[in-house]
Amino acid sequence: MRIERRLRQPWWLTIVVPVLSIVVAFVLSAFVLLLTGHPPLRSFHRLFDAAFTGNGALSESVVSATPLAFTGLAAAVAFRMNLFNIGGEGQLYAGAIMGATAGLLLAGSPSPLIFAAMIAAGAVGGALLAAIPAILRAFFSTNEIITSLMLNYVVGLVLEYLIFDSHSYLRDTSGFEANVFPQGKTLPDEATWSSWNIHGLVLPLGFVLSIAVAGFVWVLYSRTRFGFEVQVIGDSVRAGRYAGMRTRRKILAVMCLSGAIAGLGGASQTGDFRHQLDPRGLRSANYGYTGIVIAALARYNPFAVVLVALLLGGLQNAGFTLQGADFPAGLVGVMQGLILFCALGGELFVRYRVRFAW
Amino acid sequence: MKKRRFALGLPFVLAAALILALGVSNGSARTQKHSAAIKAAWIYVGPHNDGGWSQSHDKGRLYVQSKLGSDVQTTFKENVPEGPQVAQVIEGLIRDGNKIIFATSFGFQGAMVAAAKKHPDVKFEMATGTAQSKNMAEYFGAGEDAIYLSGMAAGAATKKGVIGYVVPFAIPEVIRHANAFALGAQAMHPGVKVRLIWTNSWFSPDKETQAAQSLHTAGSDVLGQNVDSPAAGQYAEKKGIPWVGYDSDARKFAPKQWLTAAIYNWGPYYLRKTKAAMGGTWKTNFYYGNLKDKMVGLAPYGPKVTAKTKKAIATKRAALIKGTFYEFAGPLYDQKGKLRVPKGKRMSVKDLYGMTWLVKGVVGSAKG
Repeated sequence: MRIERRLRQPWWLTIVVPVLSIVVAFVLSAFVLLLTGHPPLRSFHRLFDAAFTGNGALSESVVSATPLAFTGLAAAVAFRMNLFNIGGEGQLYAGAIMGATAGLLLAGSPSPLIFAAMIAAGAVGGALLAAIPAILRAFFSTNEIITSLMLNYVVGLVLEYLIFDSHSYLRDTSGFEANVFPQGKTLPDEATWSSWNIHGLVLPLGFVLSIAVAGFVWVLYSRTRFGFEVQVIGDSVRAGRYAGMRTRRKILAVMCLSGAIAGLGGASQTGDFRHQLDPRGLRSANYGYTGIVIAALARYNPFAVVLVALLLGGLQNAGFTLQGADFPAGLVGVMQGLILFCALGGELFVRYRVRFAW
Repeated sequence: MKKRRFALGLPFVLAAALILALGVSNGSARTQKHSAAIKAAWIYVGPHNDGGWSQSHDKGRLYVQSKLGSDVQTTFKENVPEGPQVAQVIEGLIRDGNKIIFATSFGFQGAMVAAAKKHPDVKFEMATGTAQSKNMAEYFGAGEDAIYLSGMAAGAATKKGVIGYVVPFAIPEVIRHANAFALGAQAMHPGVKVRLIWTNSWFSPDKETQAAQSLHTAGSDVLGQNVDSPAAGQYAEKKGIPWVGYDSDARKFAPKQWLTAAIYNWGPYYLRKTKAAMGGTWKTNFYYGNLKDKMVGLAPYGPKVTAKTKKAIATKRAALIKGTFYEFAGPLYDQKGKLRVPKGKRMSVKDLYGMTWLVKGVVGSAKG
């Protein structure tokens, strides 16, 4: 048996392979479920129901998907240029910090102004943080994987410091409740982001924003000179340089764009869902790292990122619905893992073919 | 180039559509099952078998299930992260028909308050919290009383007079627990020092092992803890130093070095409130259980606890129950030796919920 690279990829493969991958994942899961004494069909039904079709389930999947769409887009933007920004996690924290600050500072102003300020502040926060590994990479050839990853821990600790170890502006220090457990100040009502209800499907501002960002990224990367240059540099830095492209500038721009998108995710967490700076919640969610998986699954296509985020968000919610006294959380993890593994593993058959020849 | 990229993203779009389609066809064919049993649910921040806090609650759930049998259908959600996910988990539980929901971590409070407003027909029970409303009750146990007793066991066991105490967050709950532990240890071993290491997490076995190791190398010859996992106990067993657990009876993790632990017994409270929800007599409350009603208690002793220590603990326990003794009665001094509670004064539950200073003899910062 030999595995060799396909010179040409027939178009139908890109449809058949993922569909088959998902089918394989479900067959494998069914085996595991049968072995552990759970009815597979009913479990799958509950999974779909909890993720998408149940009453209000899709709205909840959107809630889980929103931060993942942002971090997925952030990763996709940078990875397309072979710039490995692993710092989405920290850039999201930075966006959350800046977004919360803007929301609290502008209390009393009209809502649209506050939203705009929070969005801008979140983007700036993420971009500024991403600028650090970007500058190091562009001017000192430092490996951006290490620097961006390490900054995640730094910002994570800053986040905790702001709420747990200091009496910062963002910490709520008034009242009995705030004394019992340190927490962030709650945003005023005018700073909680609006959402739209379309036939029972609730779309938060953040999710709509993520779709807009996906559109922006698509146009930028497939319809502009900037995008063309990014792809050339991504394929070969030397080729780009020979063609007179300014690689340093591109590194800075792409890295900051990536950081800004992750930062938007942080602002959305504060504005849409948490309404306060929530260090423990943000740190335990791992949005940034999940975003990398999503970008890879979506093969860096911005619209696919949003969809995959929705799928993964749904899968995450479904996990919590499935688990219970008679359904161990570990089994849910096995099913989720199988689905992800098959979806990613199936990629192999798009790019390579297996030959049964000796 | 451009075309190919689009084509590569396409399969996922199609796969998504397929999944959605499958789900829809399945969903329309579903039938609702109705049963007479009341549905009750628990939400845990860690695994249900963490050997500590969450497990103590799950024991309570199983108690309810065994007492009420087929009249109740209990379930739980474990490893629920604090944040937007909690609201989703609560909504899901309500959709599944749960009529009473017990949330067992302080970080769930915001979502519980919001859900209580939205669903007036569902009863909400919040452990360790502070927000009470018409359909949301608060409950906790005076863990400090039992922790004081477990501290006595630790104080009697130390030879060097240094005890290590692994603590999660620098919040009043944990500070009062650490204080009670130190006061109990001092009662058996005057002048004993209790060293703190903060992990900034309720449940984090690797951090807890690290903390235990640091405390041991810094000279502690007995370990205690206010965190949820038995990791420090496993370390203690390996190093041959006595260990005081917390939340649950975790003897099996350190059979030789186990001393005892302050444990919570939520079962009777859960049973009472579930029954009340069934019978329509449920009322909100701010319940603070104690040694007397057995919501808090001591786990069985390990082999290292001497008869003399057991007797001393039994005496103190009886006095605590009778009310002739209270560990947070003055005079109490803080770490710098300043008198915080004068003689003849007692701290109220509200004072305890806002305690931000450590008592004399505790080594570590009250700021984490």
